[in-house]
Amino acid sequence: MAGLFVLLAWLLLAGVIAQGLRLAASWRRGGAATVDWARGLAALPRRYLVDVHGVVARRAAAARMHQAIAGGLLGGTALVLLGIIPALRGADMLWLLAAFGFGFAIFGARLVARRRQPALPASLSGGAFQGLARDLAAYAAGGFLASLGILLGLWLPALAGIGLAAWGGARLVAGIATGPMRHALAGAVHLAAHPRPERFVGTAASLLSPAQKFGVAAIGDFAWNRLAGFDACIQCGRCEEACPAFAAGQKLNPKALIQDLATALHPEAPAYAGSPHPGISSPGPVLGRLHAETLFACTTCRACVAACPMMIEHVDAVVDLRRHLTLAEGGAPGKADQVLSELRYAFNPGGFESGRRLDFAAGGLRVLGEGESADILLWLGDGAFDARYGRTLRALVAIMRAAGLDFAVLGEAERDCGDLARRLGDEAGFERLARANVATLAARRFGRIVTADPHALHVLRQEYPAFGGLYTVQHHTALIDELIGTGAIRPEAASGGTVTYHDPCYLGRYNGEYDAPRRVLGRIGLAVSEMERYGAASFCCGGGGGAPVSDIAGVRRIPDLRMAQARETGADIVAVACPGCTAMLEGVTGPRPEVRDIAELVHAAMEAVPVEARA
Amino acid sequence: MIAHAEALFRPLTIRRTTFRNRIMSTSHAPGYGRDGKPQERYQLYHVEKAKGGIGLTMFGGSSSVSLDSPAAPWNQISVADDSVIPYFQQFSDRVHAHGAALMIQLTHMGRRTRWDTENWLPTISASPRREPASRSIPREMEQEDIDRVIADFAAAARRAREGGLDGCELSAAHGHLVDQFWSPSVNHRGDRYGGSLENRMRFGFEILEAMRAAAGDDFLIGIRMSGDEMLAEGLSHEDCVAIAEAHARRGLVDFINVLGGQARDHLAHAVSLPNMSFPVAPFLPLASAIRREVEVPVFHAQRVTDLATAARAVAEGHVDMIAMTRAHIADPHLARKLQDGREDDIRQCVGAGYCIDRIYTGADALCIQNAATGREATMPHVIGKAARRRRVVVVGGGPGGLEAARVSAERGHEVVLFERETALGGQINIAAKAGWREALSGIPRWLGAQVRRLGVDLRLGVAADAAMVLAERPDIVILATGGVPNPGFMEGAELVTTTAAILRDGIALGGSVLLYDGMGQHNAASCAEFLAKRGALVELATGDRMAAEEVGTTNQPIHLRELYRHDVIMTPNLDLLAVRREENRLVPVLRNTMDLAEEERVVDHVVVDFGTLPDDALYDPLKAGSVNRGRIDAGALVAGRAQPWPEEGYALYRIGDAAAGRNIHAAIYDALRLCKDF
Repeated sequence: MAGLFVLLAWLLLAGVIAQGLRLAASWRRGGAATVDWARGLAALPRRYLVDVHGVVARRAAAARMHQAIAGGLLGGTALVLLGIIPALRGADMLWLLAAFGFGFAIFGARLVARRRQPALPASLSGGAFQGLARDLAAYAAGGFLASLGILLGLWLPALAGIGLAAWGGARLVAGIATGPMRHALAGAVHLAAHPRPERFVGTAASLLSPAQKFGVAAIGDFAWNRLAGFDACIQCGRCEEACPAFAAGQKLNPKALIQDLATALHPEAPAYAGSPHPGISSPGPVLGRLHAETLFACTTCRACVAACPMMIEHVDAVVDLRRHLTLAEGGAPGKADQVLSELRYAFNPGGFESGRRLDFAAGGLRVLGEGESADILLWLGDGAFDARYGRTLRALVAIMRAAGLDFAVLGEAERDCGDLARRLGDEAGFERLARANVATLAARRFGRIVTADPHALHVLRQEYPAFGGLYTVQHHTALIDELIGTGAIRPEAASGGTVTYHDPCYLGRYNGEYDAPRRVLGRIGLAVSEMERYGAASFCCGGGGGAPVSDIAGVRRIPDLRMAQARETGADIVAVACPGCTAMLEGVTGPRPEVRDIAELVHAAMEAVPVEARA
Repeated sequence: MIAHAEALFRPLTIRRTTFRNRIMSTSHAPGYGRDGKPQERYQLYHVEKAKGGIGLTMFGGSSSVSLDSPAAPWNQISVADDSVIPYFQQFSDRVHAHGAALMIQLTHMGRRTRWDTENWLPTISASPRREPASRSIPREMEQEDIDRVIADFAAAARRAREGGLDGCELSAAHGHLVDQFWSPSVNHRGDRYGGSLENRMRFGFEILEAMRAAAGDDFLIGIRMSGDEMLAEGLSHEDCVAIAEAHARRGLVDFINVLGGQARDHLAHAVSLPNMSFPVAPFLPLASAIRREVEVPVFHAQRVTDLATAARAVAEGHVDMIAMTRAHIADPHLARKLQDGREDDIRQCVGAGYCIDRIYTGADALCIQNAATGREATMPHVIGKAARRRRVVVVGGGPGGLEAARVSAERGHEVVLFERETALGGQINIAAKAGWREALSGIPRWLGAQVRRLGVDLRLGVAADAAMVLAERPDIVILATGGVPNPGFMEGAELVTTTAAILRDGIALGGSVLLYDGMGQHNAASCAEFLAKRGALVELATGDRMAAEEVGTTNQPIHLRELYRHDVIMTPNLDLLAVRREENRLVPVLRNTMDLAEEERVVDHVVVDFGTLPDDALYDPLKAGSVNRGRIDAGALVAGRAQPWPEEGYALYRIGDAAAGRNIHAAIYDALRLCKDF
């Protein structure tokens, strides 16, 4: 009887391998990828137990569920597989432990089922997923019964258990290619061969590499390990809950997006049964699944990426798909096309003369000429063309002057960093801007680059290295933090007043900087009252990824949603640290907290110091 | 933020001077000069604009270079000797400290001045032609006069430069001496300074060459000129373009400051300083046309009252600098407010012309709605918080009550405002119903927005009584209940209608109307126009020597033009003795104030304007219980000191027309100076 159970386990394993080969065959349709298998496999346990678990455990119930079901089933099955060794097969301890494992899995299966009761939450999928708890429960209960029967020598229950486990196990294995259990196998491969392994060691590299062709036109244009990534999705819906575009009722649901991509690879799979892209009822032309509006609704904020327990890279897929639409089909919607054209000919999105980037300062800024040097190169960014953001830059310049820093700007030689072009899919435009800026910077000497624009920070720090530009890039909040820390500036601690801080996506999620801005606010005596979503879970202002120019209609506006969250804190001020966030949040009408950049708040605190007390 | 705001904040560099933005104020004569010098009051007035973010402030409209163009009698500035230089130095240091540039206008008025003032010298011009506005007949200038005036201009430019100013403009506009030479309406000379346009420009050329030689290369020298004299025998638009082009091509000027019209007579004066009857920026096309033809920057002023228009003018390339002179009188901080994203807080000029009209009566320029302008030494533009929070009850939501509520709320007090009507504005709502006076509604609109922003507890549609006021447990009660129209004290007063009733209710009277004006203000003229436009036959009678005699230089001609256009009969020098009923008609009895002859009319309606009498229904019941018995310490008020405030009980004050019928500025000034020290 024990032999029969062991045979079943090995048959199931064979089935898993067969299904795995089927999946691998479908991934082979994808492009080549450079994968460090040795490192990836070695790191796999850590990626599972630390990285994946870390995300899953943000919800304790989900972690309990997953530990019980995955741990129980894998543990129990592994023990049964060990039964192939005759000595072990006869050991009571093996079957006792197996019974424990399967028993634990029964508890897990109950948690899986309970999560869908009494009503299915909007973010979870129905369809094939509705039967998952039953299949899991059947396999777990069967395994438990069989193990206990073998242990106690009760052959009839053991036989019944093996039968039940065979039924449940067969259903689970059958679902590996196209059903819910695909995530387990694809997830393991995805974690080992992850396209952006840097994220596991805390560095924030960009996955976007210079494109060899015009983006993704067919599903097979994705690298194979990214296809594995799409297959790793378990449809838990955390991305959907995190997505600002989805919350605003725009035509994007990141979970549905990943499923669209998986379906494009596996057209034979059962239909997706989760919540759709809002306002979209039929498949679109992109890969036979997606609408351009879905792709251009994305703000590239990476809230989905940060929320995904399977470490799937939604945003990079979006950009790859946009590249084809923008470059090959000229399909950037709304004002995006016009803005890309301005970037091509005027080197900034507004089509301004380059020299007007310095207008905000009304003279007095040192322009770093070719061959000249300065300690700090202040990268102004395109916010400099905007009258509102000019206030922030004036405050920052005043702070840097007060600190006696040796800094200069590029003046007319500065071009848009390329962030907007790249996110909108104009990779060619991005490369032109990047190469021009790298050449400009190469002709000048400076210790570090400081910028108040997190998008420029990200591109200069993470994306210019691919073009030979290696710089130390610092966000202005980090510089100010440093200046206050060393006593170079001495702002007055403000008394009272509450502030909430809005994390810019490209500073926080993209570059991991959450502390310096908050520390600066603390240093000027402002108590930070956090919004419900902050830090890595922060909610985008709606300004990233070219969303303000592609302007995909929704039911609500993302900045309105964010401001509502800020309002809930009761703070008088929303502190910001990005020109995009400033513009988006300033555009919110009606009574609301004041929008102030951290540089403005610090400068005001410096002005509050009586003149005679200023050093 | 408004469209194209970034265009306004683009610096402009001319020679070695950089203006931080494109917003400026042109030279004008606010009447703040003392002894021909820009002293404390004058300087603080401009420093406030510099604090407020302006790029360039120009002062000293019609500052004179010669003794036969006297300045002191109109409290203007004389640059005719070196004694002015230390004042310029102090002035420029102060303005530069706040980041703005400072320039002056230099001129010789020629025939556009009077001989019977300070120096008793004959007036001079190109030819001996009388100017209607100044009523002076000049002596024709000889070569020696020309040489002397050229030398005077050169010396004045040197003084401006030594005073640390960034530059100056030569005034060749409004009919000053240089454009008297240009204009064929004045210049009838037969020598090398007359005849062809080239000859007529020669005098100005020689002045500018001498000024440049005296002031050096890094000093800005521009010219202010008309883009079209709009005068049959004067300079056409094409002439003006040719003049501008000739000056720019010869490199004589660093900028050209263009305006429309001239000011030789009353109506021309009103046109060149457009009031609220004109559209916004009416003469921008003239500046734009000149900018197309010249290589130097073009400046322009004339009723650019809002920043959206200003931004458009710059962004679309009509001008390089946009001047918002009266707009700065209404709000000297407008540039900074725009830059700080506070454009809703900008107090916009309504074009009442109160500032400019005052200077022609020899008074000082004051803003109808901003009582702090020109009073920077005593009145704050930015109101600070009080040490102690008090409870203030204001009764009346007209300009005085609103200003009292605004200032009190800015001080941090808890403010309740009762207004009987459902809309704020008080008597301004009546005045604004008259034709071209509609823009007056901008005054309460701004005040209303401010008090709402500041969280004043507005009780609209509530006629407060003494019990309601006291129920608020106030520390201070301000009665700004305004006045009630006075039907007059003559026999038959019960038979007449008041101008206020006509305008408030929009009554279109049929038949014949005798409108008797006992005030000489806007009210009767507005009402006459209102009735005549709706078909009534109107006779406007007044005891004054002419209609609307109290209305100032830039407004009265517009009233008269409209009254003539609509066939209103204007009869001066009459007293209204009585009104009697005869059948279903009325017989007003009038008496000539000169020959004392009585006359009568038989009309369908008699409408009168005798101003207002205080609405003091609340004053008596509140007076007895107040700690100050309703008195204001006039000494403290005038000196800008705090009133003695009570520790217990409430203080009671009346302001504006509730104290005595006066005007909008009086009500607002009453409120500001009383409330700034709570």
